[in-house]
Amino acid sequence: MLVLLSLAEQPRHGYSILKDVESMSGGRVLLSTGTLYGALRRLLDEAWIERVEENDSPRDRRTYRLTSRGRKNLQMEIARMRQLTKLAALRMARKEA
Amino acid sequence: MALKVYCWLLVLYPGSYRDEFGEEITSVFRDARSALPPALAAKIRFYRREFCGLLSGTLRAHLDRLFGPVIPFRRFSMQRQFRFPRFTVFLMCVILAGLVLAIHKAQNVVQMKESLPPATATAWGPMLWGLLFALALILAAVAAAAAWGVLFALRRTGMHRLDGMQTWAEHDWRGNTKPENSLFRP
Repeated sequence: MLVLLSLAEQPRHGYSILKDVESMSGGRVLLSTGTLYGALRRLLDEAWIERVEENDSPRDRRTYRLTSRGRKNLQMEIARMRQLTKLAALRMARKEA
Repeated sequence: MALKVYCWLLVLYPGSYRDEFGEEITSVFRDARSALPPALAAKIRFYRREFCGLLSGTLRAHLDRLFGPVIPFRRFSMQRQFRFPRFTVFLMCVILAGLVLAIHKAQNVVQMKESLPPATATAWGPMLWGLLFALALILAAVAAAAAWGVLFALRRTGMHRLDGMQTWAEHDWRGNTKPENSLFRP
């Protein structure tokens, strides 16, 4: 989810994703390089993200971006979380009332 | 030094994975390492996280290669990190120590048998074989305990519960077909 969110704003390379995930989570989520590339590989396999083909991009610094399928799935997950938050607020309010 | 060890450990990944991501992983590790604060505790945390991440990543990559994406690690890979229960680590160390000790004892028995005079060896032979058989039994018990330890660790991580969770909807958010096991149906 955080990796997808990181790519939602702009295409990024691996290290940039690591730093962005760390900053988005306020330093609570620190991904290791192995974990990050495991997740990227899964997302590539599912066609939720893709590599940006750049001629001048070195092989060790490739950039990734969301595909339309990935963006759609991210939007659905956000909607699901929004609904869950709304439900939680409702239930908490009912409990306090 | 750490970079060399890390690059060396990349050979644990399947060849295709290494060809595809090896250079990138090395480059990101190098960048992350160069941005480390000078505090020793931060460095220890960083290396621990990176090496554990690399080892769990290699395991996952091999499982993916062998069994395909049917292995239920989908949400597991989205978790912050693999948390290995401390008690299991202790248990596995005890099991490993038992295994090493059993092998050592077996070697001693074999050496003792070889150093005996032929007449004595013939007389004591059945007893020594009995001893070796007992050691083999102990080894089998230790191996079974190790397998149980691994299963116990996987159970403690809660992975089996994550397997049952389906929060990623495959279809349209507004009313169309949802997966049957979705916990968060509208």
